[in-house]
Amino acid sequence: MKISPDQPAKNPFSFRECFLMPMPIGKKALNLRELLQALRDLDESVLYYHIFQSRLDITQPAEEYPNEFARWAANALQDVKLAEKLSSFDPFDYENLTQVRQSVVDILEEYLWDIQYIPWARSGFEFHFCEASTVVMRSHIRAHTLQVFCETLRKVGLDSIYYHFFEARWRLGVRNVDDFSYWIETNFGLPELVAAIRGIDIYFYSLKEIRDTLLGLIHQHLGELCDRTQ
Amino acid sequence: MIGLNDYAPIVGQEVIDQLQRLAALLGLRRFVHINSTRTGGGVAEILSRAVPLLEQLGLDVKWEVINGDQEFFEITKAMHNALQGYKVDLSPAMLDHYREINRENARKFTWESDFVLVHDPQPAYLINFLRPQAKHWIWRCHIDASRPERRVWKFLQEIVSQYEASVFSMSQFAQNLPHPQYLIRPSIDPLSEKNRDLSTAEIQEVLGRLGIERDKPIILQVSRFDSFKDPVGVIQAFRMVRRHTPCKLVLAGGEAIDDPEGPRIFAEVMEAAKDEPDIQILLLPPDAHHEVNALQRASDIIVQKSTREGFGLTVTEAMWKGKPVIGGAVGGIVLQLRDYNTGFLVHSPEGCAFRIRYLLHRPEMARRMGRMAREFVRHHFLITRKIRDYLTLMILRENPTERIMEL
Repeated sequence: MKISPDQPAKNPFSFRECFLMPMPIGKKALNLRELLQALRDLDESVLYYHIFQSRLDITQPAEEYPNEFARWAANALQDVKLAEKLSSFDPFDYENLTQVRQSVVDILEEYLWDIQYIPWARSGFEFHFCEASTVVMRSHIRAHTLQVFCETLRKVGLDSIYYHFFEARWRLGVRNVDDFSYWIETNFGLPELVAAIRGIDIYFYSLKEIRDTLLGLIHQHLGELCDRTQ
Repeated sequence: MIGLNDYAPIVGQEVIDQLQRLAALLGLRRFVHINSTRTGGGVAEILSRAVPLLEQLGLDVKWEVINGDQEFFEITKAMHNALQGYKVDLSPAMLDHYREINRENARKFTWESDFVLVHDPQPAYLINFLRPQAKHWIWRCHIDASRPERRVWKFLQEIVSQYEASVFSMSQFAQNLPHPQYLIRPSIDPLSEKNRDLSTAEIQEVLGRLGIERDKPIILQVSRFDSFKDPVGVIQAFRMVRRHTPCKLVLAGGEAIDDPEGPRIFAEVMEAAKDEPDIQILLLPPDAHHEVNALQRASDIIVQKSTREGFGLTVTEAMWKGKPVIGGAVGGIVLQLRDYNTGFLVHSPEGCAFRIRYLLHRPEMARRMGRMAREFVRHHFLITRKIRDYLTLMILRENPTERIMEL
């Protein structure tokens, strides 16, 4: 389907910004058994922070593992086998945080069942539990056309990408549906592009990679309307 | 005077716009910072930059500094060391003196405020006298309090529990406290005299004045002469490297008036460096920001071999200058450096020596790590992010029951 660069949307896309304020809860795990017990006991907000929200916190340029539990297993316990298991788990496979919690607990229980010793963290590398408060702010940036949407997508902060694409897949309650693809679908149709965006395996991308992948897909489907070289 | 818009070329105009919109939501809130020194140390340095920027955003900001005698600062230095895990013995008379100096300082503060941010233990006790003068009292701990000495922490815990929230630099520093705890990572100002771009001539002028020749690769550690910064360990590492590879070591230490231990540690360093012409020890005044900037830019490798660290802003400064950094695997340094990525973490003088040699022999790797380090700092540790955190914190504290605020 051909879209003209200035074809207006019925409803403009309103970009939001999302600021995270991490809140350490003053509890820590020194070894894998303590991590397992804490994951059984702590609020879902803690799980949500370490699985999802931590992406908005400090992350190194090239993170090898997609969640903080896997990263801790690799860096602090120096247990790459466990890190692999915790990396392969995808929270987007589940309906709610209760199921996500059970899934992580199952991985850890099974792992602990089979080993002879409890892996301990190196001194100074204990797992410190956090939750977070979030401020979501409507920005003044609105996209009335797909062309402006692409130009804006290039410029907005990674916190916007997190909110509209990563967090939205959880917030909207329909897995694989995010704010961007929903807006494109309801304003322009474009089922192939929408399906391609919803097919992105986002859990394994950094926020910057998600932005680049999105722009790449839109360019691939709509050509010069979304010029990647800008 | 540096304005907010001067940061746009560094962080992007959208970041400046965000700050202005967040600040507009707060309007003319009154915001008081209280610490114990106007010069020397990371807290004073960042406040001297953050306060004018918060004012430009329309807030009514005050920066108050408490005064104390030498005994007071020796007591608070002991508290600082105790929070970092050292065994110290504070007698009841010392604790009384701490309270008394706070009481004396409280008398001169007559303002009223919406928010008060009290930095570190020195002025923490002020809340006992001034609480009715502000709506929101928040304690800001800049210290690595991951394993505090129990008795001193119990004393401080009772004081800090009176605040409505605390802010720590790292999640591992958070404590068992009866109120919400937040994380705000420290930051550097890319336009300050310590971090702004310098011309080659400016760098050369400083090196000439300090008597440093660039005839060999320069290894640098910049830090106060404090046992937790392990300057003697750096000298040991340097001596190991020197057996294989020519280089020189510069240890540049600032003084801070709230640190009575400085002169003693300095003497130990001088002894360790004796008879080694390629080690240069520089005792710099607290305002030698330009000189530190030039030294960092002239160096080939920058070391911060701390054994305890709050956050390690000298690491952040060095990374911002695109230098490969080798840091002790403690405190906030762990958050900043990742092996082969943004730097190297080490655990011993031997590890430090090994990584110095590694980088001296791989200049392309050193440059690549320096580039990644600079981008990492741009995204996470510049002052604009800290200003955003302060504004966000105020919004959240005014709506304490909300976990998600939609504005």
